[in-house]
Amino acid sequence: MGETVLKMEGIDFSFDHQTVLEGVDLEIQKGDFLALVGPNGSGKSTLLKLALGALKPDRGKVSLFGVPLRRFRDWSRIGYVSQKANSFNRDFPATVREVVASGLYGKLGLFRRMKKEDWKRVEEAIKQVGLESLSRRNIGKLSGGQQQRAFIARALVSDPEFLILDEPTVGVDTRSVDEFYRLLAHLHRKKGMSLLLVTHDIGVVTTYVNRIACLNRRLFFHGDTDEFVGREKEVFTAAYGHPVQVVEHAH
Amino acid sequence: MIEMILHYGFMQRALAAGVIIGVVSPIVGLFLVVRRLSLIADALAHVTLSGVAAGLLLQKQFPAFQALNPMVSGMVFSLTASVFVERLRRLYRSYQELAIPVILSGGIGLGVVLISAADGFNVDVAGYLFGSILAVGESELWVIIGTGVLAGLVICFFYKELFALSFDEESAVLSGIPRRLVHLLFSLVVALVITASIRVVGILLVSGLITLPVAASLQIATSFRQALWLSVLFAQISVLSGLAAAFYFDWASGGTIVLVSVLILLAVAGGKRLIRPGSGKTGAA
Repeated sequence: MGETVLKMEGIDFSFDHQTVLEGVDLEIQKGDFLALVGPNGSGKSTLLKLALGALKPDRGKVSLFGVPLRRFRDWSRIGYVSQKANSFNRDFPATVREVVASGLYGKLGLFRRMKKEDWKRVEEAIKQVGLESLSRRNIGKLSGGQQQRAFIARALVSDPEFLILDEPTVGVDTRSVDEFYRLLAHLHRKKGMSLLLVTHDIGVVTTYVNRIACLNRRLFFHGDTDEFVGREKEVFTAAYGHPVQVVEHAH
Repeated sequence: MIEMILHYGFMQRALAAGVIIGVVSPIVGLFLVVRRLSLIADALAHVTLSGVAAGLLLQKQFPAFQALNPMVSGMVFSLTASVFVERLRRLYRSYQELAIPVILSGGIGLGVVLISAADGFNVDVAGYLFGSILAVGESELWVIIGTGVLAGLVICFFYKELFALSFDEESAVLSGIPRRLVHLLFSLVVALVITASIRVVGILLVSGLITLPVAASLQIATSFRQALWLSVLFAQISVLSGLAAAFYFDWASGGTIVLVSVLILLAVAGGKRLIRPGSGKTGAA
């Protein structure tokens, strides 16, 4: 087995005296495409924040690429598309190009300006998500699906090995959603990228991902998709507290 | 006007001060506006009033402070306040704008008390309130030049970090951009620029020079760079008109600058509607 990209062990987290997460163990190996599913308020976004060091667990250990989070500095190896990407200021004066370029700034570091080859990488990332004809358009004027792809490009531009997406398809129309998943599948299969996707689209993801984790305060399932399919009713009933209608999209 | 500028020292100083302020104010303003912090400029300007009053009081009471330029004490006050704004904002998670009236009224309150305690000054306090570009002295010009250079350097060196933090703070921080350092440096630059602008537009109108050219540029800019250059262009037109109005008609420079900025904003917004009807509203299509 290859490198472990993300390892979370025995994570407990509470907020305002409410237990949000309890004894969560999550592991993502290099080349995995894992979907993290669970009901609203199940602690999915919190788990991501803990994985990225934006929150500190009450108990448990987190490591990225084998390095304890406390000492991890190599943030350019990780791309992150937040849920908030949908709620940015749509009057912000910025083109797709400018927004995508900002994904490189952390990696470039202070006092280094964008060079020609950096802009080339920006153009490549934009091309990868199929927005090249819109690269000089104002980002606020794009459709929801196009904006989403611009944010993926921003995450991709620093050439990350591990991409984390927090409910990226909320507010995106169905056709764009399918296109979007195909893009993720492409990154996974062709580029060998490891992905962690938080999502509500339970039916769709089983087509694309190879690993599934089902969370509701604690993990109710964490394993291969093949193992999950056929057991989903039982897992979801346990995790959600009631049976869940799994909607399959036609492909 | 060109011969006049060559002829009179005060015109040369006024022009230099106006051009420098007309570059740095709208640039700083753009970053403030897109982060929805444009009112901070107003709050800090009012704190500067108390700093200026404190400087004048020191001058009056203690001969040792004769050489102190009130602009310097104004700067010290607004620098201190700029650091506190962030702290105050964190005090209330959902009422972040409360920091602004707290600082604004605190600044003006202290300023008024200091002025009354001094029982009047030899200098014209109104010059600080409303600005008088033709009265920029040599030492003040040096303060303005220093501020311009410093602000220019910080914005050049941290342009990409400032942009990333303004657009999406969460992602910027996660990508490894040092938020605290950049925010701190930027707040210090804001405080300096506001104080330096006071001679040109006055305490009461500083926020106009900082936000109005930006407001006009946001109507038509597609990219951030465009917004930047357009707001500088609009600010230069306003400042030079203010200078001309002050020289030829003896009008208040600050008032003219702000009025011209308002006219530019109206013209840009109106022109946009004429060219592309229905595009008056910005935002998601």
